[in-house]
Amino acid sequence: MAHFEVKNLSFSYATSPEKVALKEVSVQIEQGAYITICGKSGSGKTTLLRHLKSVLTPYGERTGEVLFKGKKLADISERDQASEIGFVMQNPEHQIVTDKVWHELAFGLESLGYDQKEIRLRVAEMASFFGIQNWFHKDVSELSGGQKQLLNLASIMAMQPSVLILDEPTSQLDPIAAADFLNTVRKINRELRTTIIITEHRLEDILYASDQVIVMDQGRIVANDRPEKIGEYLKTENNDMFAAMPTPMQVYYGVPNKLKCPLTVREGAEWLELLLAGKNLRIREINDEKTLYDESQIKSPAVELKEVWFRYEKKAQDVLKGVSMKVPRNSIFAVVGGNGTGKSTMLKSIGGMCKPYRGKVKVEGRLSMLPQDPQDLFGHGTVEEELKEMLSGKDVAGEETLETVVGICEIKHLLKQHPYDLSGGEQQRVALAKVLLTEPEVLLLDEPTKGIDSFFKLRFAQILEKLKEKGVTIILVSHDIEFCAKYADMVSMFFDGGIVTTNTPNRFFSGNGFYTTAANRMSRHVFKNAIINEEVISLCQLNL
Amino acid sequence: MKFTDCHPITNLVFYIGAIGFGMCLVHPACLVCSFLFALVYYSIVKGEVRKYLGRILMLFMVVSLINPFFNRYGETILFVYFNGRSYTLEALGYGLALAGMFCSIMTWFASYSVVMTKDKFLFCFGKLAPTVSLILTMVFRFIPDFQRKLQQVSGIRKSIGLSTSSGTNREKIKHGMNIISSVTSWALESSVVTADSMRSRGYGSGRRTSYSIYSFKKKDQFLLFIMLLLLLITLLCALNGGFTAEYTPSLYISDWDNAWTIIGVGSYFLFLAIPSVLHLIEEIIWHISRSKI
Repeated sequence: MAHFEVKNLSFSYATSPEKVALKEVSVQIEQGAYITICGKSGSGKTTLLRHLKSVLTPYGERTGEVLFKGKKLADISERDQASEIGFVMQNPEHQIVTDKVWHELAFGLESLGYDQKEIRLRVAEMASFFGIQNWFHKDVSELSGGQKQLLNLASIMAMQPSVLILDEPTSQLDPIAAADFLNTVRKINRELRTTIIITEHRLEDILYASDQVIVMDQGRIVANDRPEKIGEYLKTENNDMFAAMPTPMQVYYGVPNKLKCPLTVREGAEWLELLLAGKNLRIREINDEKTLYDESQIKSPAVELKEVWFRYEKKAQDVLKGVSMKVPRNSIFAVVGGNGTGKSTMLKSIGGMCKPYRGKVKVEGRLSMLPQDPQDLFGHGTVEEELKEMLSGKDVAGEETLETVVGICEIKHLLKQHPYDLSGGEQQRVALAKVLLTEPEVLLLDEPTKGIDSFFKLRFAQILEKLKEKGVTIILVSHDIEFCAKYADMVSMFFDGGIVTTNTPNRFFSGNGFYTTAANRMSRHVFKNAIINEEVISLCQLNL
Repeated sequence: MKFTDCHPITNLVFYIGAIGFGMCLVHPACLVCSFLFALVYYSIVKGEVRKYLGRILMLFMVVSLINPFFNRYGETILFVYFNGRSYTLEALGYGLALAGMFCSIMTWFASYSVVMTKDKFLFCFGKLAPTVSLILTMVFRFIPDFQRKLQQVSGIRKSIGLSTSSGTNREKIKHGMNIISSVTSWALESSVVTADSMRSRGYGSGRRTSYSIYSFKKKDQFLLFIMLLLLLITLLCALNGGFTAEYTPSLYISDWDNAWTIIGVGSYFLFLAIPSVLHLIEEIIWHISRSKI
């Protein structure tokens, strides 16, 4: 008997009955399986997941049925579903109900009416399993995003569910916290035999662990197979989702070969060795065409920091410890580095939101900043009103600017919609448009790729390149190494309140051992300087 | 076990006793006890007393010295000012008592806010009304979040030139409204997710229990018993006139030759000393066990 069985499920939302959200979806999920569901934003992933728990099922027109352990889901009581089926949502913050870590862990058990003794035991178990004991007494507001999401997971696991459903759980986390979270999920699956059903943008960390990958497109399941096989389908169909697959898989399908498809960096490196075994490698290096970064050569920088020191409070520690940098005009300048090193603070000091107590910040030209959370900029009923707000008081020329900006950000079709109804990637483009209406010459971006799927990332990158062509200088702070490697002109490493090194992406990443792209890690034993998928593919092709 | 580590109910009973009796007993000996132990315990939990003492003594002086200017009852006239207004000893005494009570209650409240954390407070009232206490818990979480978001949004809007501090008044109001609208949308959005998360974890699917991390230990039982006993004795003495103290129009304060006064003040003294003594014992035990290491 299958654990979950979805039979011929079709669904359309009550709010837009003409659009089909799910169409004839049928799937079987076995006990203990690890299932990954992927697809573009709006392909129906979330809608499908929400059908697996009655209290979360959206309103609308529905045919077909969902069976849980052989019984109709609708016939299973709310209480049993609450404990049997765990559901982790996207936003770590909003899911938390109470103000204390220990209380949050107990919340579900309280709702199920367990007594004090039982709750105490279960809470203790969970705190130990998840390593929460050190922050057990803390206020929820003191936790980092990653800790919050782990807490959400732990408070659900305390109810001992037999299936765990996760809807893009790591999209708001930085890569290290995300990997940590996904490892815990993997551990739960391996050690407790809990069935995992997960949707994700970042497939690098989960695909290799999956038993089954389901690809959705426009409300249908278009593929359902083992992870090694799924790439083949996506490649032949030329599906947009191919860009979201792990680097080794993308490289594999870029080179004609008959070997086994690699899923991890290690498998990728082994595959490269096998592929190139016995071949005479003529070209082993990518030529870096970008000119070397030399601070003394930059004559009139767009932004210059000179020995900038900053702390948030008088008695607090310094966050910026003498940052100096020069950003050349008309370039995309990326700053990477770990959490809490002061990257965002540096960006704020350029943007004038943090006033340094020592040192100088020089900015040439108008400056604007795109916040990490695009929703912070929204306060109107439609996208159009949102943008018009920026024009108030300006003359007819404003209308023209509006049109060009709408064109650049590709949001013409969204003008009449409510900003909160848009997907993450669309919201970001609207926010960008709003910021661009200030006609900035220097644009600051804080984590621009957070929570955006690979398809929208690509479009966003294209917009940035268009802006660069128009003469805008872009400074971005990001955890997304792959994105920086591909699109930046310069990359800086930020650590301990200062910039450690700055270089062109190729020189920067190929010099790093750990803090570098997957493409570089899988290929550096054979090729030099290759940091993005396309470079590895082209080197392979040249040498075959 | 320190008093701060005791069960919330034990803490609460003490503070009800200390503050309740503190407001009713105006006998000078009681006021001295109350003020003294309030200050001692304040210095223990806050780890600082000098600054506070300066401020509170100032307040004490002002209240007690000023009272006779407004209250002219009394027989013993100390001096006369402004054609015929008298400053009396009895009114001064009354002022001193009033100031003593006021300052000691304030000091008890100051240590109360440290000892009775939000958690303990909620625990005490969660037993009576579980739903109300859950709502309070959520409110406690929501308010600081809301403030943070408000600051974040206004900061970001300011950075793209939508500031509430420049432009005409109409523009300022408009920008202010937009900030509110933006934060409200955020709050609504978040409450939808929170509601989903609560229902998904079985909220409303049946009878709810209330979990707490506090356990009622033997020591709490013992303390509670002692505290109630002392309070009862004090109350008994009060009912029998052991704490009679009248200031105006003529001074009458029950003396030490009254047995009720001696027993009453004694038990009140012991009661108020409990938190400080517990702390002292703990320190001594710690000192001894550490010297064994």
